[in-house]
Amino acid sequence: MIVGDLSRRELGKRLAGDGLALQLGPFNLTIRSNLDSFASLAHQLYEPYPLPDAEAISDFHVQISAPRGLRRWVRRQACFGVDGQFPFAPYTVEHAFPALEWGINWCVATRAHHLLLLHSAGVERNGRAILFPASPGHGKSTLCTALVHSGWRLLSDEFGVVRPEDGLLLPLPRLIPLKNESIEVIRKFRPEAIIGPSFLETRKGTVAHVQPPVNSIRRAQEPARPRWFVFPRWVADAPLTLEPIPKSQAFLMVATNAFNYEVLDEIAFRLVTEMVRSCDSYSLIYSDLDEAVSALDELSRTDDV
Amino acid sequence: MTCYTARAETFILSPAGNSIQWQEWGDVHIVYQPSSAETHVFNETTALILKCLKQGSRSIQAVKDWTENALEVGQGDLATDDFVFATMRLEELGLIECLDDASAVQ
Repeated sequence: MIVGDLSRRELGKRLAGDGLALQLGPFNLTIRSNLDSFASLAHQLYEPYPLPDAEAISDFHVQISAPRGLRRWVRRQACFGVDGQFPFAPYTVEHAFPALEWGINWCVATRAHHLLLLHSAGVERNGRAILFPASPGHGKSTLCTALVHSGWRLLSDEFGVVRPEDGLLLPLPRLIPLKNESIEVIRKFRPEAIIGPSFLETRKGTVAHVQPPVNSIRRAQEPARPRWFVFPRWVADAPLTLEPIPKSQAFLMVATNAFNYEVLDEIAFRLVTEMVRSCDSYSLIYSDLDEAVSALDELSRTDDV
Repeated sequence: MTCYTARAETFILSPAGNSIQWQEWGDVHIVYQPSSAETHVFNETTALILKCLKQGSRSIQAVKDWTENALEVGQGDLATDDFVFATMRLEELGLIECLDDASAVQ
C-alpha cells in the first residue's frame, strides 16, 4: 500500500490522529500534523511512498504542528517535534513542509548511528553507485536531480547510508529539496519533473521539493555497491572537468564530510578506508547539467567494458 | 617533557602506538588510533618513525638514522627540526614514549 491509496480525507485523519506511518528506505517514520496545508502537500508529494506493515516499529515519531496558545491563531507558527521534544525554534506556518523535511534529516543524522552516514548524494545504475560528497552550495542536489531524471536511480540526495555489515549503500530516496536558482534550472532541464511549490524566504532561501522518480522509491529496499566518489562543484560558466584525485585526499574529504564518523570511530575508519580503496575518485567541475550527465554516463560506461 | 629537554635517550612504541590501524596511500599515511578514537594523517617521516619503533625500542640517533635510510636521504640530511617536530607530535598523541637510559635498560 502507498500513500496514494489513501484519500486526502483519510490521510488528514491519520496525520491528526495516531500519525501517518511512512517507509523511507531503512527507516519507518510516523508523522503527525494538525495543519491542513501540510496534509494537502503530503498527499501530493508523498503519494508514491509505501506505508509500512501495521506491526512495524517506528524509528522516529515526528510532528509538525501548530503550537498551543495565541500562536495558533495570530502570526501562525509550526513547531517541529520528535518523540515529544521540540529541538528547534518555531517556523512560520507557511514553512511547515520544508521544516518537517529538515527535521527528518536531523533525526537521521543525529540518531541513526547503527549506520555510517556520509554527507553525500548518491545514484545507482547497473548495480554500481556514484557518491557525491559535497558541502552545501556545491550543486550536489541539482546534479543528483538531473541524473535521476536521466536514467539513474536515486539513493539519496543528502545521505550516503552505509551498512557496516557489508559496506553496501542503503537507499533513502526522499524528496529532493532544491534551493534558489536550482529550482528553475531543473524545471528547464526536465519539465516533466514533479516539483512541489516554492517556499519563499525560508532559513535556506527559496526551497522546492522534487519527487524522485517512482522507480527509485519502489526500489528503496535494494542496496547498491559504491563504485565511484565524485566530488562535484558547480562553477558558473566553467568548462567541464572530471579529473582523478588521490585516494588520500578522497579519504579526508569523505571522512570529514560524514555525519557520524567520530561516533562510529573504528567502524567508520574501516568502512571509509574500504570504500575509498575500492572506488575510483574524481573531482567534477561543471556549469552545464547536460555535459555533467554525459560525462558521468561515460564514466559508468567505461566500467562496463 | 620530551626527549630533547632531559636526559632521556630512547624511544619506544607505547601500547597505544602498538594498536594503531594503518592505511598507506602514496606518501600519505592515514592512521586510526583506537585509544583516542582519532584518525591522523601522517607524512612519510612521521610514519617511518612509527614503523621503525614497531621493530623495538631504539635510541634517538638510531631512529633518525633508520628514518633517513628509509627516506633514501643521506646521513644527516633529515633536518633535526623536522625530526624533533615529528617525534614531539607522536609523543603528544601518546603513540611513542621516551625513556631515559636507566628506564630503557630496565
